[in-house]
Amino acid sequence: MFDKVKEIICEYVEVEPDEITEESRFIEDLGFNSYDVMCMMGDAEDNFDVEIDQEEAVKCKTVGEFAKYLGGLADE
Amino acid sequence: MLKNIGGITRECYPLTPAQLVHIYTLKYSPTQEIVNIGTGQYLQTKLNVAALREALNRAVERCESMRMRIWKDPQTGEMWQYIEPYQNEFFEYYDFSEWQEDKVTEVLTKWTSQPFDTFGGKLSRIVIVSLPNGYNGYYFNVHHACMDSGSVIAFAKDVMEIYSSLLYGMPYPKPMTSYIDSIKKDFEYEGSRKQKRDEEFWHKQLELPEPIYTDYRGKKKLLEFREQSGNPEQRWGMLTSSNGDGATITYELDVDSTNKILDFAHEHDLPVSAVILHAIRTVLSKFNDNETDVTIRDFVSRRSTVLNKKCGGVRMHCFPLRTIMPLDTTVLDSMNIIKKAQEELFIHADYSTLKYMAETRERYGAAPGSSYHSMNFTYQPATLNSVVPYLKDIGFKSRWYSSGKQPQPMYITAMHRPGDGGLNFFFGYQKDCATPEEIEFLYYFTGRVLFRSIENPDKTIKDIIDMT
Repeated sequence: MFDKVKEIICEYVEVEPDEITEESRFIEDLGFNSYDVMCMMGDAEDNFDVEIDQEEAVKCKTVGEFAKYLGGLADE
Repeated sequence: MLKNIGGITRECYPLTPAQLVHIYTLKYSPTQEIVNIGTGQYLQTKLNVAALREALNRAVERCESMRMRIWKDPQTGEMWQYIEPYQNEFFEYYDFSEWQEDKVTEVLTKWTSQPFDTFGGKLSRIVIVSLPNGYNGYYFNVHHACMDSGSVIAFAKDVMEIYSSLLYGMPYPKPMTSYIDSIKKDFEYEGSRKQKRDEEFWHKQLELPEPIYTDYRGKKKLLEFREQSGNPEQRWGMLTSSNGDGATITYELDVDSTNKILDFAHEHDLPVSAVILHAIRTVLSKFNDNETDVTIRDFVSRRSTVLNKKCGGVRMHCFPLRTIMPLDTTVLDSMNIIKKAQEELFIHADYSTLKYMAETRERYGAAPGSSYHSMNFTYQPATLNSVVPYLKDIGFKSRWYSSGKQPQPMYITAMHRPGDGGLNFFFGYQKDCATPEEIEFLYYFTGRVLFRSIENPDKTIKDIIDMT
């Protein structure tokens, strides 16, 4: 899950996959803006075939938190 | 699809919905220059014409959309686009350094009013120029079906970075991304799961009762429209211009006042655009008998992925941002409602603008060309020196030139100034639809509402209306 999320992230910001850790924060560390975050989450929704609750999802500030959130949805 | 154009076989692609918006504008405009974007990017350093010419050539070579052409099939009338192979170009150089600034602006504005032949050839013109006060750079005029403001800035960034690399040994910038890859993704959207979700969202908006037109000059305009149609219940307006003649008035907000807006937005976790939109919305409400249902058309860049940020082209879509709020809504709640509405609009902005316009008219039985908004808005956070960090140490200015025509009756762009970062408000307007005095009144009133709101975030919309 984490690796797939990293792959999606690399489509949105110019960072190397190795630079992304579970602790990386979308805005402060990876250079996302809030619009990018929303679009990336929409992409993840399609990739993982899950339905994301935007209000819940935007609470995820780090890549690890988001991967965990997606993992929870995929298990449902 | 392969097409034979002038004896040469070309790989052709249909136009995207974002491009078709501009073709639609052309269809209803008596003049072609209405879709021109004129800009200038200038550094306050000594000019090396040969290096800049080389940088421009390399940038054009790296940017497919700069070489995009539109072709209309004479047999079927269908429109197609293709990429012309790169050919080295000799960009002209004009030295205006001894001229008066306003005379130079006059010339560059005149250049911007030169129309392109949409279906016949090159859709941009670049000229290297020297301006008074030691500024040097290039003037750029481009057809809107070829580029939008986001790609104008991305292209300028590339040019400046290549130029700095050639002259000062700065790192050579990473390649641009492929415009063709980007539009192929757009075509994959048709029939996708994402399109279905977007369609559901927009169709749900159409289940709401009919919106109501709110004019920046007050309720009298809707009453006039009703009188013209003989329908006292009519809720839509029809702002039209006989010739598209327009102008842009720029207001510069000082840095301290700009920072007040930015600090407030940051403190309350709000996008700057939501703070400004709240002010525009409140003004429209006040001018229209405290109307609680207000629609403003919002523009979305649709450039979230690296592919789309660096591919050039035109990707902008626009949709009505409709909010219905009782007058006892607090300022903060109003801004948060706008923030949420804007987020939803952004998420679903891949849907076709023209398709939604047609569906709206059909749903409410409104006339062709009608709308429920009188104002268009966009906030452009990026400036060239915010994306090219080393420009912070060099005098730099960016200019936007009017073609003398405006596609929208009233279009406000809020954009940070290169240099001090203060906000500029560009009021683009059609002369048939507003006077400079009306624009000035609108700007100062919007400013009053904006700062009263920031100073009193717990007051209600009605309080703010009464205070201003």
